[in-house]
Amino acid sequence: MMTSEFSVYLLGLSVVGAPIALLCILGFFSLIDRPLSERATDKLVFLAIFTGLLSSLGMVAVLLHHGVWRFTIELESLLEIDRYHFSVKLLFDSLSLPFVLLAFVLCATIGRFASRYLHREPGYNRFFVLYALFIAGMAVTALAGTIETLFAGWELVGLSSAFLVAFFHERPMPARNGLRVWTVYRISDAAFLIAAIVMHHMTGGGDFNTLLGKSPWPEGHAALSEEQALIVGLLLLVAAAGKSALVPFSGWLPRAMEGPTPSSAVFYGAISVHLGAFLLLRFSPILELSPVLCLVIVALGLITAGYAALAGRVQTDIKTALSFASLTQVGLIVAEIGLGLRYVALVHIIGHACLRTLQFLRAPTLLHDYHTLENAIGAHLPRASGSWRGLVPESVRLWWYRFALERGYLDAWLTDYLARPFLRVFQGCDALERKWTDWLSGGRSRESDRLKASSGSLDELL
Amino acid sequence: MTALRDKHSVRDKHYPLASLEQVIEDAAHLLPAQGPIRVFIHHNTLHAFEDLPFDNAVQQGARIFGCHPYLPEDRYREKLARGRIKAADLEAVLHDDLGRRGNEPILHLGTRQELRLAMLLYPFRLAPTAELRWFVARTDALKCFRDAAPPLVREAFVEETRNWVMRDLQRRKENPTQTTDSRRDHQIGEQQIGEQQIGDVYIQEELTALLERFGESSIDRWSVETWETFTLQILWRICRDGVQSMKTLVLPPAPALRHRDLLLAATGQDSDLLVHEVLIRFCAAFLDQGFSHWPLPCRERGFYRAFAALYGQKGGPPDRWLRGLCKELARIEVAGLAPLESIFESLQLLGVPEHEWETFIPATLLALRGWAGMIHQMETRGDRAAHAAPPGSLVEFLAVRLILERLALAHVAKETLGFREPVHRLRQVARTGVRKLESLSVDQRAFLVFHLAQIRGWLPGELFRLTKQEWSTLVQEIESFSGLERRRILQLAFERRYRILALDALASHACRNSGPASNPRIQVIYCIDEREESFRRHLEELAPDVETFGVAGFFNVAMYYKGAGDAHFVPLCPVVIRPQHWVVENVVSGMDETHRRRAIVRRALGRLWHQIHVASRTFAGGAVLAALGAVASIPLVARVLFPRLTARIRQSASRLVQVSSITQLQLERSQSLPGPSPGQVGFTLREMADIVERVLRDIGLTANFSRLVILVGHGSVSLNNPHESAHDCGACGGAVGGPNARALAQMANDPRVRDLLKRRGLELPAETIFLGVLHNTCDDSVVFYDREQLPSSHEQEFEEIRNVMELTCDCNAHERCRRFEAAPLQLSLAAARRHVEGRSQDLAETRPEYGHATNAVCIVGRRHRTRGLYMDRRAFLASYDPTQDDADHAILTRVLQAVVPVCAGINLEYYFSYVDPAGWGCGTKLPHNITSLLGVMDGAASDLRPGLPWQMVEIHEPVRLLFVIETTPQAMLEIMDRNPSIGKLCRNDWVQLATMDPDSAELRFFRKGRFELYKPESNDLPRAPSSVDWYRGKRDHLGFAAIDMERVQQEEKD
Repeated sequence: MMTSEFSVYLLGLSVVGAPIALLCILGFFSLIDRPLSERATDKLVFLAIFTGLLSSLGMVAVLLHHGVWRFTIELESLLEIDRYHFSVKLLFDSLSLPFVLLAFVLCATIGRFASRYLHREPGYNRFFVLYALFIAGMAVTALAGTIETLFAGWELVGLSSAFLVAFFHERPMPARNGLRVWTVYRISDAAFLIAAIVMHHMTGGGDFNTLLGKSPWPEGHAALSEEQALIVGLLLLVAAAGKSALVPFSGWLPRAMEGPTPSSAVFYGAISVHLGAFLLLRFSPILELSPVLCLVIVALGLITAGYAALAGRVQTDIKTALSFASLTQVGLIVAEIGLGLRYVALVHIIGHACLRTLQFLRAPTLLHDYHTLENAIGAHLPRASGSWRGLVPESVRLWWYRFALERGYLDAWLTDYLARPFLRVFQGCDALERKWTDWLSGGRSRESDRLKASSGSLDELL
Repeated sequence: MTALRDKHSVRDKHYPLASLEQVIEDAAHLLPAQGPIRVFIHHNTLHAFEDLPFDNAVQQGARIFGCHPYLPEDRYREKLARGRIKAADLEAVLHDDLGRRGNEPILHLGTRQELRLAMLLYPFRLAPTAELRWFVARTDALKCFRDAAPPLVREAFVEETRNWVMRDLQRRKENPTQTTDSRRDHQIGEQQIGEQQIGDVYIQEELTALLERFGESSIDRWSVETWETFTLQILWRICRDGVQSMKTLVLPPAPALRHRDLLLAATGQDSDLLVHEVLIRFCAAFLDQGFSHWPLPCRERGFYRAFAALYGQKGGPPDRWLRGLCKELARIEVAGLAPLESIFESLQLLGVPEHEWETFIPATLLALRGWAGMIHQMETRGDRAAHAAPPGSLVEFLAVRLILERLALAHVAKETLGFREPVHRLRQVARTGVRKLESLSVDQRAFLVFHLAQIRGWLPGELFRLTKQEWSTLVQEIESFSGLERRRILQLAFERRYRILALDALASHACRNSGPASNPRIQVIYCIDEREESFRRHLEELAPDVETFGVAGFFNVAMYYKGAGDAHFVPLCPVVIRPQHWVVENVVSGMDETHRRRAIVRRALGRLWHQIHVASRTFAGGAVLAALGAVASIPLVARVLFPRLTARIRQSASRLVQVSSITQLQLERSQSLPGPSPGQVGFTLREMADIVERVLRDIGLTANFSRLVILVGHGSVSLNNPHESAHDCGACGGAVGGPNARALAQMANDPRVRDLLKRRGLELPAETIFLGVLHNTCDDSVVFYDREQLPSSHEQEFEEIRNVMELTCDCNAHERCRRFEAAPLQLSLAAARRHVEGRSQDLAETRPEYGHATNAVCIVGRRHRTRGLYMDRRAFLASYDPTQDDADHAILTRVLQAVVPVCAGINLEYYFSYVDPAGWGCGTKLPHNITSLLGVMDGAASDLRPGLPWQMVEIHEPVRLLFVIETTPQAMLEIMDRNPSIGKLCRNDWVQLATMDPDSAELRFFRKGRFELYKPESNDLPRAPSSVDWYRGKRDHLGFAAIDMERVQQEEKD
């Protein structure tokens, strides 16, 4: 009995351990500046993901065998003061296991794809280090049994995501857009962190067992009052909205298409974009406590879906069109969660992730496909029929077209009403501080103001 | 208000709108000339500059486009290290370039040629001052000699310094007040003495300080290393002291004409970012060829009107900088300004006077050159697109761009500089904020001399004695050989090396074969494409009784072609020709019913698939599909993990609905005028006879026909590759050339055509049968056309050639695999074939094939001159028999008219895309994003990227194409005179040119307007029993070799 429990413990641990080990190995060789060869990297990645995949399948088998639908592995209690405690726990249940399985299957496929796609690319090693970071983050997030653990994985995913958007950092746009993604993630992470703290205050810990009840997902019952649930739920919704690019944060999703095609596929077609929905699913016992909250979630989901469907109709490039298509479905999934259709949402996530990944991978073959289709049909491809168009006055049509083409002006609104006030406040503080220090030092106090950037190489001009 | 006033001035006064239009039209020629990517046509990237000599053109182009004219210097040095350039090449090229000036001595420090050679052979550091300081401080640059310094020089340096210092020390000990006397015998003017002595004193102080640092007392016991360091320290100080007093080099002011450039330099904020975000979206929507579900409203009204309709409405984008747009558009609308007038007004508002137009307008258009170029293409070559752009679109684009630019500039200037005045003052204000470009600093110059002194062995004593004047001469001399000049010379040397290899090989091989085989068993005619070189070679090796020919791959059948399963007609001919004929492929009667049924199924499936495609991106459809989406994981996993197997399964499944393979080309026309409708399709018998006659006479196949003549067209099929069409046949305008081969075969087999030919003196024996073949250059497969029409008498030959062809495909795949890093070097023939098949079907493969990469030479002449010569898939091979040509060289002229522009275009496009992959080419494929079904962008949104991707060109060697033409120099000169397009390319050095004498096979190289007899450097052409023996186990570029089974065996016996 002892041994079997221990082996289950090990099995569960290796689901998370394999990708973390991969990250450590790849990261170590990168740090000592001796990156592994392409072949070795490829093999390691596949081996690690495959181990993770087999272990999680093993866990499914074990749970099925025992008929238990909830299994927790407690790793360590990091801190315990009074009634506050932080601990690392892994939770295997009918939400985390499908999600982690999905992640492993897609990551394995995309990993194989990327190892050929990025062949001879100078950033090959960097890509796979970040990829390992992502897989590790995904495994931790999916299996997290406490809110702190979830947050840690969530952060790793965000970090790798932003770095992969800025993968081609020799051009300015990827770096800019990577920063933009990172900024939005900051907002959502801040909301998440506040939610975590609030929950700690309310219940004394971040353990899902105490927070969401002991009965297996999706039945759990949260020990919060309706008002508390509303506050926590709204914060979590902001976190989810940032991560899943729901309105009003949607602007970053099309901008994230800067990285190599496989990373776009796995992040924004498949896994990363569904993390917000996953978060809501995980905390669904809290959501159901507050009807107002559910209403808000349904509304936000539907608005996002409608918005993305509209914007997607006018996009002219394949990757942007696919990213809005993803967003449409994510919006629907969120609405389903708000309606309490948890299993529907889970199935929807899995199906959508597989389909969209395939579409993203095939994006560069668009011309080939269109050519084949045109030949099959025997004419240019039909476009949307415009029967309704005669019914709407031109100015309205123009307005909506522009609204869609400009992606609902969401970026401009965010810049103006969120970023700008922020910047203004901090610039004001900076000016104050400068005055203050100048006054104290009786002169110009900042040496960095006088320094100029290097003028660059003169070789070409000689 | 200003605008209103301007409007009146616009209306009332005479203003030069016509000249503005002209300026825009001239500027349009600078824009990339690449059309929609579905039909990729190779062309010279700098086609607009072909009137200039190559070097002027690339340097001017580089300045205008901000790209590299040649490879970066260190890339040439790598080639130098790997032996792709030799020191002898550098010497020869320098000698040529400098002429008599090369022997002029520079002071007493050697000749100019020696100095420049040293600068070419050894890299030196010319980093910014800060980096140099760091380099000097942190490395052993001031401790040890650089590696390249010859040992003798090192010894002499140390020896001299030791003597000098010891003597000096001695003297100081004896007479402490007197300074050094080492310049006593040097003649210098009085005033200079004063300065020199200041320098002296300075050096003296440095020397004393140095001696103290190194421990003067122990000087007798200094180790060799200490002396070395000490010597270098002195040398460095002398160099720095020498260049100290020189005037700083004044760099030409950066040509920052656009307000945006100045503002960017002054504030670091880029106003183009704002403009482009709106403009890219709008251009893509305007040019969209049918990707978006919802087309741009009012598109038919033109670029400007559509933009005004869309953005002129209230309640538009809330971006701060765009808030004035609506009002501005309304104002222009009220003022009734046409786009051109609006440009004129914008220029006035921006404060750009008329004399600046010629530079300002190109610079403005080039800021978003990909999109602007595509608009221009869609406007001028709208016949190639589904949705063309109306005339004047480029002008309208510029009008919109300038309006947006004004708004963006005003906004950025306000935000960063607090500038609230009219925009026309902006340039003045911004210019004051721009820092002056630093000229070369003292340290940088000193470092140059310091490095050169070590290599050339300029002893400290020598340098110490230089006067101020001489220092300045020296430094000027060094600086006159700038980075650009060095790269030009290195490029020439690089080209020289390959040229010598090629010409030497040809010189020793051309006379090896006495002539073509007298009774060839089978004749095969290929495209001139350099990818077919290996295919021909392997075929000849496997079947020595086969004779091969090369002709431009459209086989002179210029047509619009529509296959049985195709939706549209496609032009199959070089882009310079507009076809006059239409050809369709019909299903053979009897198969009609099946064909019709299959077509219906195909259409239904196609519609369904398209519906799924579209629906997956919508609201409800997506949800339904997502529910079934898990099924998608099956093709996903299968295609990525087992691409070849999946492709096979798919193929056998699609066979059920495929177009029947038994089809026929409708080649004969019944009506008098050609056209696309049924009766007008095809050619008349006369036209067919013309076509056949011309091809046969071009390649010199007029007698000695074999029983079977095979025509091989080629194309390429790959997945996930937006640039797929760039791998197709260039002579077919970026399309598959199989139908052309098939059409020519069908024409030549027609007895009535043969009758006509007979009357023209070209008799085709009745038993000679022509057969068309399609070679897929990606998976190396061949498909035979009209096999069922082959008479049974020829079955035996057919079976033979088919088997040999299959084997040739294996060999060809094998030879190609040596260049693919992912293919192990020890692959077997069959495994190599499987490897390339996998490549063409793999979604993750970014290099399905290497296309034209490494092309370097084009040989126009009889095949027996090159037969059995291993040319590493680098040679275009066109057949031409000079003995059959007339006195006017009519045949050669028309061969060259097709061959020179096509091959030079391919070669130059590869040159530019390789030299600056991100500038001229379209960078790496990995983030490419297909947009508007027209081209690719980098990532989410960027300028449209014309040119070739890095994955296609990465193994290329950027040398200008070397033409070797089997004719006399006089004939070639006459042809160049008569055909300006050929003459321009040759005389302006866009290609290299040599002739091979038809009788003696002597080579003459064209240089500076004359053909000079070429003397081979060596006669040593390596030999190998077979191609496989020569290339096996090697990845890199491979030299020429004579493939000579019999002779090698003979020698082994002896």
